Amino acid sequence: MADFEQAVGEEVLLIDDELWEQLIELTDGAAALCFQCGVCTATCPWGLVRQKPLSVRTLMRQAQLGLREKNGSLWLCTTCAQCEAHCPRGVNIADVFRSLRTVAWENRNPEKGLPSLLWSIFWNDNPWSQPPTQRALWANNLDIPIFNPQEHEVMLYIGCTSSYDQRAQKIASALVHILRGAGVEFGFLGEEEPCCGEAVLSVGHKHYFEEVAAKTAQVFQERGVTRLVTISPHCYDVFHNHYPPFSNGFQPLHYTQYLVNLITEGRLQFMKPLDLQVTFQDPCYLGRINETYQAPREILKSIPGVELVEMENSAEEALCCGGGGGRMWLETPLGERFSDLRVEQAVQTGADILATACPFCVACLEDSLKVRKTESFEVRDIAEIAVRAL
Amino acid sequence: MAELQIVVCVKVVPKPEEIRVDPETHLLERTNARSEINPPDMNAMEMALSMKDRYGGCISLLSMGPPFFEPNLRVALAMGADHIYLLSDQAFAGADTLATTYTLAQGIRKIGDVDVILCGEESSDGATGQVPPGLAEWLDIPQLTLLTDVSIDQTLRTARGRREIKGGFEILEVPLPCVISVKTACNEPRFMDYRLRNWALEKDRLTVWDAGDIDAEPGHIGLTGSPTVVTGLDEAPYRERRREFLTGSPDQVVQELADILRKEI
Amino acid sequence: MVSSLYGIGRERKSIWVYLEVESGGLAGVSLELIAKGRQICNQLGWQLAGLLLGYQVGELVADSFAYGLDEVWLGDDALLEYFTIEAYSRASFQALMAAKPSVFLLGATPNGRDLAGRLAVRLRTGLNADCTDLYMNPQDERLVCEVSGFGGGVLALIEMAQHRPQMATVRPGVFSPGELDRKNVGKIIPISLDLTEDVIKTRLVERSIGEQVDLTRVPVLVAGGRGVDGDFKMLAQLAQLLGGEIGATRPPVDEGHITRERQIGQTGVVSNPKVAICCGISGAFHFVVGIEKADIVIAINSDPEAPIFDYADYCIVGDVHQIVPTLIEILSAELEVSIG
Repeated sequence: MADFEQAVGEEVLLIDDELWEQLIELTDGAAALCFQCGVCTATCPWGLVRQKPLSVRTLMRQAQLGLREKNGSLWLCTTCAQCEAHCPRGVNIADVFRSLRTVAWENRNPEKGLPSLLWSIFWNDNPWSQPPTQRALWANNLDIPIFNPQEHEVMLYIGCTSSYDQRAQKIASALVHILRGAGVEFGFLGEEEPCCGEAVLSVGHKHYFEEVAAKTAQVFQERGVTRLVTISPHCYDVFHNHYPPFSNGFQPLHYTQYLVNLITEGRLQFMKPLDLQVTFQDPCYLGRINETYQAPREILKSIPGVELVEMENSAEEALCCGGGGGRMWLETPLGERFSDLRVEQAVQTGADILATACPFCVACLEDSLKVRKTESFEVRDIAEIAVRAL
Repeated sequence: MAELQIVVCVKVVPKPEEIRVDPETHLLERTNARSEINPPDMNAMEMALSMKDRYGGCISLLSMGPPFFEPNLRVALAMGADHIYLLSDQAFAGADTLATTYTLAQGIRKIGDVDVILCGEESSDGATGQVPPGLAEWLDIPQLTLLTDVSIDQTLRTARGRREIKGGFEILEVPLPCVISVKTACNEPRFMDYRLRNWALEKDRLTVWDAGDIDAEPGHIGLTGSPTVVTGLDEAPYRERRREFLTGSPDQVVQELADILRKEI
Repeated sequence: MVSSLYGIGRERKSIWVYLEVESGGLAGVSLELIAKGRQICNQLGWQLAGLLLGYQVGELVADSFAYGLDEVWLGDDALLEYFTIEAYSRASFQALMAAKPSVFLLGATPNGRDLAGRLAVRLRTGLNADCTDLYMNPQDERLVCEVSGFGGGVLALIEMAQHRPQMATVRPGVFSPGELDRKNVGKIIPISLDLTEDVIKTRLVERSIGEQVDLTRVPVLVAGGRGVDGDFKMLAQLAQLLGGEIGATRPPVDEGHITRERQIGQTGVVSNPKVAICCGISGAFHFVVGIEKADIVIAINSDPEAPIFDYADYCIVGDVHQIVPTLIEILSAELEVSIG
């Protein structure tokens, strides 16, 4: 291709039929549905932070024509699925982006920083390059039993971020206290908890993801895990939608879904009133992508003294925090962060707390909050609020 | 023009934080430790692969170690290397750097016709950084160490590289064949190519040589060939941070801080 | 067992120090090794000698004696003007074979490590790299080297029974330099060199000494975060007084107060200083990864709950803009006193 371009003297766009066939196969035909209306580009949050929006439509068109993507915008996508929610033909656009990324990996053309992400998972079983032996250190004083299917109703899946990131560990601790408060018999896999592999899937390395998922699925099956509760919606999404079926059944839940069940069953009650006005950030992977909008709100509403106010852009229209699609491991320049806008919206509601239910959202939103230097305003995961009301 | 023959010396090491020393026998306990490719060798691998992208050629991995190194070495094959040569023999055990560099040099002589030998800057276990110059000395060839990038002139048969020095850099050139050590973290090692994953598991991609195969003199290898002897081995005391809050008036605190700095620096 | 070219029978009871020349003077690490060598030689009654190679480096000889050397073996030749491994290893080898010292110490600098590595093989002797301490066992007069391995998790003691010279490299800053005494004199022994141009295979194409800084190897790192409000001039002053460099977390880099190559952390530089001083840094996870290998961590932050305090040895709750200038004042005053 390079020689040809040199000979012709200018950039040549060659159509690659193979790429198109590959995409059709990777997306189960969805890629063919797009009729180039452009609604995707219009709804993409990148249009809110950049002069020139991310032209999703152009990328779809390029893909349809089998053209190799030339600019870096492929890696900007956070897979928030805002575009999918508005697409008149129901094209699974995030899937197309992941597939284009798969092709990029095959052409040895991934975004800088992402090979290191995959190596981290390969050598350390977590995306944060942390020692595998330190995975359960955060839980040292909590005496959480190792999961035993005969004794425990549910397995608590901590996830890599909540295991290693000091801020996210607080969410895990809070959730442990809530489960104990509800009298739930649970255990975890401790140091042997395997990585869910969502980071791999989100950056598009389909083949490696399949390897990680197969390994983790095998561990779960061997340990007798059927019902599990995750802290991160990303782990939940990947278990729920992308894992191979288990022989003995597999029932992953996000913790907000599980707590709502406990409340309905009367096992979990919040006795202490909190005098708080709370607004809620729907994490993309809980809300839009997995259609769970009510569970977190019901938990908040069941806490006495908590008043819920909504931001503009809530529920199906929630604005992404910017951390999905692998972007937690990539730098987003100052001034281009969705979470800055989201924090602004949150503060506008007059609430005391911006609640959410995802460690990535917590990280991004708190980062933006620090820049804004707003006094007496906090970002908290739902578990951190609920534990105060036990 | 003959194909560029590149050899990358790779070591499989235990994860440093998982090593234990038995407090009674003072022997290293590594049976429970996970293994990985020495991270600086990954940078050497990436440099070799970039060379192969640019100049074509063939990449052979050379490693001295027991058979359990094999799965990790095959990971490097899946990155794009062509062949593994594993020097494996009980007689090689206990080698310090003199014996190790001798053994690797014999391995390279056996591979033959090698143009460039790439090594990581140091290994995460011993971290001596002595293999690249030692290897070059046994083979009596030039060396370029701590390079962040390299270019080869196949007509002139030279290698040219950029080396960072205090406050700046040097560009140095040597004739081939030569030994090059690669500065840790100077590049981002590419992830495995999944189309190569299965091919990398093929039996004939690995050759195992013992001491006899590489004409190694018994007095030069393993424990026998090692001048240095470990006379004491202990786990370093775990470095828990002190978390000591300095209290008092601002002036007192600063004075205390100055005292601490004076003591520590 | 392969023997070294000379062994315990033929060694001369002396300690040699490689005198590395850096920017026209003796490298700090060489002075540190002279001090250590002097200490050991005084203990045993041995000679302390230095190996000095270069071109027109005669004036450095006087300095070496002032720091405590008994002898300087001097190789002064145009072909030694710039460090090339070929010329320097040949000249060193010739000198070592003539003098046959018991111990040979070099600084673990890039060139020092290269030279040591090559010479150890040429002499068929042992080499202990990056020693954290060394001492002589007075009973058997063997050098005992303390080295760490496995990222600092394991400490080993290493010796050589038969092989000489006992070689060791030591990183800058491990030992302290001694006092200068201009009254000290010593003997200069010229090395008979057998150097020709064709010995040198390394060609220096270009050398540039500029702004680049290697934050991975600084002894002191003064890092600033959001709480510093962009005042890196103040931090640079502090860093200079302490012989270190400045670094930063991502926010000040983002805001343009400092260049990205100074960013410390997971997506920046992972440093390994003796002392890391974290100013106005909250202690987010991805930053801490960049300083967790420091020997001592000092944290200054106005928020008593800042996570950084969990990762620090010495914690100061206070205003960086008050603490640091006061510290600079105290340290500058001390410096003036010691120079004067």
